[in-house]
Amino acid sequence: MTSSPSEKKGSFLRDERFWKLAFQVITLAVVGTILFILATNLTRNMARQGINFGFSFLENSSGFSVGETLLNLERQDPYLKVLVVGLINSVRAIAVAIALTTIVGILAGVASFSDNWLVYKISRAYVGLIRNIPLLLQLFFWYFAVFSKVPAPEDQLNLGLVIANKRGVYLPGPSLSDSNWFGLVLLVLSLLLGGLLWKLVSDVMRPHLDTTGLAKRVVTGLVAVVVGLAELWLIVRGVGYLVDGSAEGFNLGHGAWLPVIALALVLAVVMWRWRIKEIVEHGISDKAKTLGISMWVFVGLALVLLAFGLGWQTPTAGDNGGAAGGLRLSVEYAAAVTALVFYTGAFIAEIVRGGIQSVSKGQWEAARSLGLPSDMAMRLVVFPQALRVIIPPLNSEYMNLTKNSSLAFAVGYPELYSVANTTYNQTGRPVEVFLILIGTYLLLCLLISVTMNQLNSAVQLKER
Amino acid sequence: MAVSETYTDPTAAQNGSGDPVIVATGVEKWYGTFHVLKGVDLTVNKGEVVVVMGPSGSGKSTFIRTFNALETYQKGSIVIDGVKISHDLKDIESIRREVGMVFQQFNLFPHLTVLKNVTLAPIWVRHWNKAKAEEEAMRLLERVGILEQAKKFPGQLSGGQQQRVAIARALAMKPKVMLFDEPTSALDPEMVREVLDVMRGLADEGMTMVVVTHEVGFAREVADRVVLMDGGVLVEDAKPEAFFNNPQEERSKKFLSQIL
Amino acid sequence: MTTTTPDKVASAPPKSSGPGPAEWLKENLFSSWFNTLLTIVVVAVLAIAFWSLLSWAFTSAQWQVIPNNLGLFMTGLYPRDMHWRIWTLFGVVLALAGVSWGTLTRNAASLMTRPMLIGLGIAIAALIIIPALPRPEDAPAFLITPFAAAILIGLIAVAVAAAYIARSVTQKSPGIAQWLPLAWFLSYIVALWLIGGGLGIEEVRSNDWGGLVLTLLLAVTGIALCFPIGVILALGRRSDLPIVRGLSVAYIELVRGTPLIAILFMGQVMIPLFLPEGLRPDRIIRAVIALTLFSSAYLAENVRAGLQSVPRGQTEAAVSLGLNKPLTVAFIVLPQALKIAIPAIVGQFISLFQDTTLLATLGLIELLGISQSVLANPSYLGRYAEVYLFIGVIYWFFCYAMSLGSRRIEEQFNTGH
Repeated sequence: MTSSPSEKKGSFLRDERFWKLAFQVITLAVVGTILFILATNLTRNMARQGINFGFSFLENSSGFSVGETLLNLERQDPYLKVLVVGLINSVRAIAVAIALTTIVGILAGVASFSDNWLVYKISRAYVGLIRNIPLLLQLFFWYFAVFSKVPAPEDQLNLGLVIANKRGVYLPGPSLSDSNWFGLVLLVLSLLLGGLLWKLVSDVMRPHLDTTGLAKRVVTGLVAVVVGLAELWLIVRGVGYLVDGSAEGFNLGHGAWLPVIALALVLAVVMWRWRIKEIVEHGISDKAKTLGISMWVFVGLALVLLAFGLGWQTPTAGDNGGAAGGLRLSVEYAAAVTALVFYTGAFIAEIVRGGIQSVSKGQWEAARSLGLPSDMAMRLVVFPQALRVIIPPLNSEYMNLTKNSSLAFAVGYPELYSVANTTYNQTGRPVEVFLILIGTYLLLCLLISVTMNQLNSAVQLKER
Repeated sequence: MAVSETYTDPTAAQNGSGDPVIVATGVEKWYGTFHVLKGVDLTVNKGEVVVVMGPSGSGKSTFIRTFNALETYQKGSIVIDGVKISHDLKDIESIRREVGMVFQQFNLFPHLTVLKNVTLAPIWVRHWNKAKAEEEAMRLLERVGILEQAKKFPGQLSGGQQQRVAIARALAMKPKVMLFDEPTSALDPEMVREVLDVMRGLADEGMTMVVVTHEVGFAREVADRVVLMDGGVLVEDAKPEAFFNNPQEERSKKFLSQIL
Repeated sequence: MTTTTPDKVASAPPKSSGPGPAEWLKENLFSSWFNTLLTIVVVAVLAIAFWSLLSWAFTSAQWQVIPNNLGLFMTGLYPRDMHWRIWTLFGVVLALAGVSWGTLTRNAASLMTRPMLIGLGIAIAALIIIPALPRPEDAPAFLITPFAAAILIGLIAVAVAAAYIARSVTQKSPGIAQWLPLAWFLSYIVALWLIGGGLGIEEVRSNDWGGLVLTLLLAVTGIALCFPIGVILALGRRSDLPIVRGLSVAYIELVRGTPLIAILFMGQVMIPLFLPEGLRPDRIIRAVIALTLFSSAYLAENVRAGLQSVPRGQTEAAVSLGLNKPLTVAFIVLPQALKIAIPAIVGQFISLFQDTTLLATLGLIELLGISQSVLANPSYLGRYAEVYLFIGVIYWFFCYAMSLGSRRIEEQFNTGH
């Protein structure tokens, strides 16, 4: 029975380390072989069709026009510019849809807690109906059955503040030129890039205990510098487009107020964060009160400028049909944004509902028993905790919306996928176009995700 | 192989037969840069009951988890019933067959009935046929006193009942050694007794057992040896009377003053 | 496209059931001046909306487009004289669904809940009444022909009978239940054979497959294929082997960052490019491949969430009993992970079902695609609202049925306290 430890030379075939290594090598080999075979076929097929892989075709003149653009796009402009126009159109739809769908989703989510039975039922019916019908069908419905049914300019629909005809939907809006709007899109992009920059910088600044992180920190720092330069470029160009509204020299239009508004909002956020830090560390001190007041001053400034600085206009109907002034949205854009907003809103409603349900009653009572007034308890205890549950899935809903925005091509809105599709049809280069397409969407999703994660960690920080 | 057949003489169990079943020599383990086990030696003889005590974080759980290769160790050697624990898959499999383990959190399989919990390993590892495995399982469930719960799911049982099922599940593999990792720590006080009684019965039958526990009463009555671990080191190894009444080491005295 | 989790309308907060109608109204609609105002506004808006919807539906809407093209909506360009094959297939599936239902509810108090019985009654009553209604001019029938209605009633009877038989049989010998998955698999083979033909019956080219049948075929195939791939990817992502994990993560994240339409379109264009010369799979196969590659990445994330929620102690317990890794995963970890992930997985299936609509933009004539062709027909110009509402109801029905089914399966697997 008793025996000395088995010192027999164990075969390597029985060693688990061998098998772990072997399994990985085999996996790598199989995947590598498959990729190699596919790549070989691809190069052979491409050679047979006389295509050389490369992106130089992007500089060729495209020769097609895009229905909707904020940039002056000429027929002889290169494919690259066409793709940029598509990207700008995508971002334009995505940014507006994300803002609106968040509002719709929060309203519907909160409505599901209403004491009012009807409101509660409507909220549930909205979620149950919208989520079980394909987005593309909803998009077609909005476009063909609703927005395309608007009359011709001659007998247009005039609702006073809103005018609708075949040429578009006219809403009250600030009088901004196309290049102002383009500048705004650049600022939106810079906001996303700012999230990435924020993450990189906080990674670099994070105190490390060991020295192994040094190399990583240097690399992160270099990336941060590159991203920072890109951010700076976006902001400078964006502000440039906003300040210099037209090509006729230095002409301060209404758009020039937008950078000021943005600055005021940024300062308000800074004050807000600072104030929370102050309250957490020293309680409600005089400094906190001052910070609170200055935060509201900046918010007020931004609101005043928004209301009076942008030259808001309502559309006016022409004598024999047609409309002018205000904000014109093309029928395609309006249908795409509407469909995206209502579809994604139903998912966000469920997320908000789950988030609020997840904060236990005990938390609320504990906060109140500490002597926090109820509005402070809501803001400092309940809401941050609900946000912590809400933000990660909200993040993926925003990414879904971003990807789903590509469906707008089906109703003729010239967003990124749509122009990429045309580019492929004209150049016969599926691989390059596909790479550009997925690269761009991946980048957009990454930026949204990083920004939302930063937001999430900012929210979690407040708990301390 | 069945324990009840091997041991009939309780005095033999008291003393241990002198056959070493577990021989751990100079076992060291690191979690990253944290040195959990700093060279631990322990020999457990056949039929012996060894109780391992120590403050939390002393490495006692980690130590007994190395006995069935749930944790790897970086230095030293552990030999179970003549087989050294190494990276050899076959050796590890055979050791795990011979070593039963009972966990603090029971770790019953919630999606399987009590009966299936007990028969799963005998059928798939020992390759018994279903009838034989079920017959043996029923015998074990009867022994731990939960025969009538066999068709229920673990979620429908109390903590004490679950832990007894867990013991039956480990016994179903007919192990040579049983490891208990704080088996009563997650239980309500009124359920501790029923689990300890089952363990006491096992010890009486001569099962080789290594028990990590804070139950001083159990250690006094049942253990052949009590071992104190602290800071990844084995501080004291003594008979229960000696350990509890006249501890030799300063750290043992301190520990006992905290728990008694 | 988007991860749908089955809605939980049923788990609504409990509303008072005790008080009479007057108290109920006061409590739930007029509890405060704000609530009263809200109720009045909402009722007014709803009344206007319903009134305009109803007046549209009964006056200006022209519904003939639906009955006139019902065959197209259901089967696309499938040859009319072969419709019996689709009917047969429908019968097989319904019977099998009945058997499954009977098996699933063998431990329940009764085969059908009251709402189900009522629903079934309404369906049969509708199938009897609707064909008898006066049909509009130039339409073969009002919504459904008497012939089709008779077949449907017969098939429902078959399904119910199958459910009763299955229930009583499995109550006596529950072991038979484990053969159900095999039966479903065989029915899938039969379905392919019935739709595509060959082996003794006339072949039907895949270009003629269409309508709801194609939608369901695409969805079912995609679901069946993406499930195992998704599970493998999820296990890969949770693996402690760096290369396996890295490859899984790369695949999952790459796919999840790409719009489905791009993958579907490039699936149509690029799959032939990646294959040896001359090998050009059917476009339905290409569509299924693209759908599967896409959905499996999302499914992997759902399964991973399930895997993460299985406590580590489960693996440790299994391993200490001597089970090796594959057995531990197969018997202990996966069953628990999948059970936890059921709502998310079904949500993903619902998404995949909805995602088949994107193929309409690539020229496949599934339900939405055939609707677009019908709407392009000059005689039905502008009948968008009617057609989209009709197919919207169909999509809604299937998605809702799937989420109901998911809840039923969850209850079935519930072994907790």
